[in-house]
Amino acid sequence: MFVELAVPATLAGEGRAAVQAARPALARRLLAATPPYLYLLPALACLVLWTYKPLVEAVQLSFYDWNLLPTSPMTYVGLDKYRQVFTQAGLRHAAVNTVIYIVCLLPFSVVLPTAVALVTRRLGGRSRDVYRALVFTPILVAPVAAAAVWRWLLDPTGLSNQALGWFGLAPHNWLREESTALPAILAITAWSMCGFAVLVVSAGLTGISADYGEAAAIDGATGWQILRWVTLPLLRSTLLFLVLMTVLLSGQWTFPLLDSLTQGGPAESSTNVYYLLWELGFRNFDSGLASAAGIVFFVVFGLIAAGLVALADRFSFHDN
Amino acid sequence: MARIRIEGLGKVFGATRAVDDVSLDVADGDFLVLLGPSGCGKTTLLRMIAGLIQPSTGRILVEDRDITYLPPRERDVAMVFQSYALYPHLSVERNIGFPLRAARRPKAEIATRVREVAGQLELDGLLGRRPRELSGGQRQRVALGRALVRDPRAFLMDEPLSNLDAKLRTATRTELTALHRRLGSTFVYVTHDQVEAMTMATRIALLDGGRLEQVGTPTEVYDQPASVFVAGFLGAPPMNLLPATVAGRDGQVVLTAGGVDISLWPGGADSTEVTLGIRPEHLRVLPAGAPAPAARGRLTGTVTGIENLGSEEVGWLGVGTGDAASAAVAVRGPRPLGLAIGDRVTLIVAPEHVHLFSRDSGRRLTWQPDAKVPRPSRPVDLTTTGA
Repeated sequence: MFVELAVPATLAGEGRAAVQAARPALARRLLAATPPYLYLLPALACLVLWTYKPLVEAVQLSFYDWNLLPTSPMTYVGLDKYRQVFTQAGLRHAAVNTVIYIVCLLPFSVVLPTAVALVTRRLGGRSRDVYRALVFTPILVAPVAAAAVWRWLLDPTGLSNQALGWFGLAPHNWLREESTALPAILAITAWSMCGFAVLVVSAGLTGISADYGEAAAIDGATGWQILRWVTLPLLRSTLLFLVLMTVLLSGQWTFPLLDSLTQGGPAESSTNVYYLLWELGFRNFDSGLASAAGIVFFVVFGLIAAGLVALADRFSFHDN
Repeated sequence: MARIRIEGLGKVFGATRAVDDVSLDVADGDFLVLLGPSGCGKTTLLRMIAGLIQPSTGRILVEDRDITYLPPRERDVAMVFQSYALYPHLSVERNIGFPLRAARRPKAEIATRVREVAGQLELDGLLGRRPRELSGGQRQRVALGRALVRDPRAFLMDEPLSNLDAKLRTATRTELTALHRRLGSTFVYVTHDQVEAMTMATRIALLDGGRLEQVGTPTEVYDQPASVFVAGFLGAPPMNLLPATVAGRDGQVVLTAGGVDISLWPGGADSTEVTLGIRPEHLRVLPAGAPAPAARGRLTGTVTGIENLGSEEVGWLGVGTGDAASAAVAVRGPRPLGLAIGDRVTLIVAPEHVHLFSRDSGRRLTWQPDAKVPRPSRPVDLTTTGA
C-alpha cells in the first residue's frame, strides 16, 4: 500500500499555547522603549517653547487691545483687531509690495541659480569648490553688515554713483528715491540669496543619477532635449522647494535690509507685510493689531505652502 | 548591423590603466561577451564603444568609419544599463518611445512602433505605468524595449541581468539568445558571470587588469584556456592549477609534483618548471583495490571535503606527499563519488586533458614534437581571430 509522506511537525492547538518565549518584565520593556523619545525631547521642547507657545499667545493677543506696557490694562475686543487689519491703510500697498518682492526674487532664487548650477556642473575638482565658495559667500555675511556695505555703495557719493559719473550720468540717491528703493532692496536680497540657491540646485543635480543623461545621449537626444526631457523634470522637486522658500521667506530675507536701509520708505515705497507688521507692533505699540495681522499672514502663507507642498509631492519622482 | 573594430584602445584614469591596449574585431552579427572579474576594464571598454568615455589611446571603427570622437547620439548604438536607467518620470510608453521622440519621428509612427515592441516583450498591459510601479524583470524588459524600438547598428549591454533573481535570470538569458538569433544584430555584452558568457556568447573576450587575455568561442576558451588566468576563471570549481616539473624519463615526457606523476607522451624534455592544469571533471577516482591502468596520469592525496551539488558531487583533496604543503585539488563527478573525508585516494587523468602553462608568463604551452622543450604557444593573434 502507499503511505503518504507526513508534513513536518507543527504546533497545532494546545501545543502552541504551551510554547511561550521568555519575555522581559513590563518595566524593563518600557525602559528599553524610552530612549527614542528622550532623543526627541530637546528638539520638541525647543519647538514648543519657541514656536507653538508664541503662536498660541499671538492668537490670544489678537483678541485684546494692549499697548505692550505691563502696567496698562488688556481690554478684550473680540474680532475688532481682525476687522482693523483688513481696513488698515497701508495693508494693500504692503501686500502688493510683498507680491512684487516674491515675483521679482523668483528669477534670482530659481531661474538664475538653475542656469549657473547647470553650467558649472561639469567643472571638476578644485575649480568647482572655489567657484561654489565664491558664489556662496554672500549668504554668510550678516544681513546688517551687508546692509552697511551696500549703504556705502549706494550712497550719492558712493561707488555706484561714481560709476554713473564715469558715463556722465547724474548721481542718484538709490535708497531715498521712491522709484528705486524697492529695486535696491530687491537687488541686495537677490545678491545674498542667489549663491545659496545655486548650492541647493547643485545638490539636486548631484542627486540625479548620471545614467539618465547617458542613456538619453545614447538614445539620440541632443543636449537641449536631455535638459528639457530628463534633467529639468527630475529637478522639479528641488525647483519647487526653492519656489516655496522664496514665497515663504522673501519677507524675512528682506526684513533686516528694510529695517537698516530704508525703514520701509521713502513714503512706504519699499515696505512689505512683515515690515508693516513690525511697525504695528513696535512703532504703534498696538500688540493686538500686530498679532491679528500676524495670524492672518500665517494662515495665508500656510495655505500657499500647503498648495506648493501638494504640488511638489505630485511632481517629484523617486529615483529607484 | 555592424562590424565593430577596436584598435589599440586604452584608458587611463589618473595612475590606473583601466583598459590597456585592447584590440578586438567584433564581426557583424556576433554576440561578443566581455568577461572578467570586477575592475578588469570590461565596463570601461563598453562605455568607450558607446561614446560615454573618451579613450586615452587607440580608435574604434564601425563599418570602417572611425567613430572614436563621435558623440554617443551620433553612433547609432543602443545600450541597456545595469541600473536600466529608465526615466523615472516617464511612463513605460514614453520610455520605450524616447529614442524615436528624440529623432523627431511622427507621433503616429512612434505609437505604432512602441506597441509593436511592447507586444514582443509582453509589456502590453503596462504601457501607462511608471518605472517604479514595475517589477525588476519588467523594468529589464522596458530597458530592452527602449533599445529595440529603433534599429540600432549594435546593442551594448552592461550586466543587464545582474539585478534579477536566479530563476528570472535563466529565463531572460534564453530570451536574449533567441532575440539575438532573430535580429542577427551585433551584441556586445558585459558580464562577470561565466554562465551567462558560456551560454549566450558566440565569442568571449576575457579581460584581466585591463588587458585582453583571450578571445574565442565558448568552447575554445573553456577547452584551450590561453593563460592561467583564463583557466582559473572559467569552470565551477575552476581548473585545478598546481606547480609541477616537466622532464624526460625513459623516452617519455613526464610531469611530476608532490603526489603527482603523469606520463604525457613519447619524447624527451629538459627539466622545466610549469603550471599544471586539470579540470575537476576530467579527474576520476580510482576505486580502492582496483588495478592501476597503464600509462595514465595519477594524483594521490587525502580527501579534505565533499560538497553535494545535487546532481553531482565535488570532492576536495589535499594532494602532496608527507608533510609537504599540499595543493587543493577538486574532483567533480556524478553522485556519489564514493569518497569519505580522511580517505587516501588516487585520481587518474588522461594525458589529453592535461594543460600546461608557463610558470613565468602564465601563458599556455603547446607541444611541438620536433622541439626538445615545451614552447609557449604563439600569443593569440587578435587580428585573425575575428576574421
